[in-house]
Amino acid sequence: MSKRAVDMTFQALYTLTDLRAVLRETAPSHELDAEQRAQAQRLLDNLERQVVSLKQEMLK
Amino acid sequence: MRCGAGIEARQVDELFINIDPIQAGGRLTPDAMKAVIAYGDGYSVCDNCRKPNRLDYISKPPIAEFHKDVAAWLNMDTVRTVPGARRGFQAVAHTYVHKGDPVLLTSLSHYTEFLAVEEAGGIAREIPADSNHMVTPEATAAKIEEVKREFGRPPVLAFIDHVDYQYGNLHDVKAVTKVAKEHDIPVLYNGAYTVGILPVDGKALGVDFVVGSGHKSMAAPAPSGILAVTAERAAEVFRTTAIAGDVTNRKFGIKEPEMMGCTLMGVTLVGMMASFPHVKERVRHFDRELNNHALVMDALLSIEGTQCLSEYPRKHTMTRVDTTASFDTVAEFHKQRGFYLSSSLEKKGVSGLIPGATKVWKFNTYGTTKKQAHYLADAFISIAYDNGLRLKK
Repeated sequence: MSKRAVDMTFQALYTLTDLRAVLRETAPSHELDAEQRAQAQRLLDNLERQVVSLKQEMLK
Repeated sequence: MRCGAGIEARQVDELFINIDPIQAGGRLTPDAMKAVIAYGDGYSVCDNCRKPNRLDYISKPPIAEFHKDVAAWLNMDTVRTVPGARRGFQAVAHTYVHKGDPVLLTSLSHYTEFLAVEEAGGIAREIPADSNHMVTPEATAAKIEEVKREFGRPPVLAFIDHVDYQYGNLHDVKAVTKVAKEHDIPVLYNGAYTVGILPVDGKALGVDFVVGSGHKSMAAPAPSGILAVTAERAAEVFRTTAIAGDVTNRKFGIKEPEMMGCTLMGVTLVGMMASFPHVKERVRHFDRELNNHALVMDALLSIEGTQCLSEYPRKHTMTRVDTTASFDTVAEFHKQRGFYLSSSLEKKGVSGLIPGATKVWKFNTYGTTKKQAHYLADAFISIAYDNGLRLKK
């Protein structure tokens, strides 16, 4: 196990937190405008990368 | 979804527009949520506590710097964090009020101010608000004279709420303080609904103490708050311990009895700190919040019979309305009785109205986006229309 695994865990949690903020800002319909959609896309891409790194670190 | 045995994960603010009057300003910023994740463990801020072993001296995380920043932001001299505004009231009352002392409150004061006075042995005397639910300097002067006649001396302390919890009215604290100061009465500014919501300048107001609520208005976890004081008062409220044990002869350094030593030792403090840069920024844009609130107020007042019980136009986003002659007339025959309004709102994705309330109720739009404010306005209009209420053109 490595510091990198810990960092990735926190980073993924923080990315999810930013996604949570998008859900709050757009409640109750959660209809995203173009800017929010782009932000969500960025965050989800980051999350995918973070989960891949986490898998590599924790399951190696 | 559960986050522990028998504990449902709370998703109110993700699923609804939440207009609960006391929750709006305490919603966490994303940075505060992240701080909560990292600092959730009990004494988490104490990893790097070094001599002189007091919370406000810790530099990693930058707690010492935060204390200084908050003092400068409020234009006061010294700050301590406290577990809620009420603990700030308690510390000040315990310092200045003794058994039988008269203390000035108002007819709109929060109950915790009364309890702080009671615990110190003081006697509450209220400045009556006028017919517009405003506390005036004239009424303050009259009450002080009344107290002097009754007790043979002026009150030893005054608690003044800048925005009261009942109507959300913005009172002229500066003018009231000026009157109190003519009688050498120290003034505690209750900023539970202002510190973290709109700009506050303690010195400009002339007050001795500024109390703010982290969980009500500073986007922080509960219980949290701040007590800011002038240099003159700091040595009194934040006096250090002098006690010693007779067997061990132990003494306790620079711990402060009114703070019971250290105060916010973990997630509450770091959450408040993480939100602070955003809070400093948001108070500069309170006009946007008022504009959003006006959208909702305009909609509510367009429903015939609805009255605004708070001062109008609004100067704060928490408002008390009377819908006895509008929404409550529907409750008389609706199958859900008075619960139809909160139920209808919930179906539209709006929460925070007390279930069953259709007569007099409060709401707060602080933190809504413009789109959400429009949605909220439309929701009220739609419910009124669907239930046959008349709308003004």
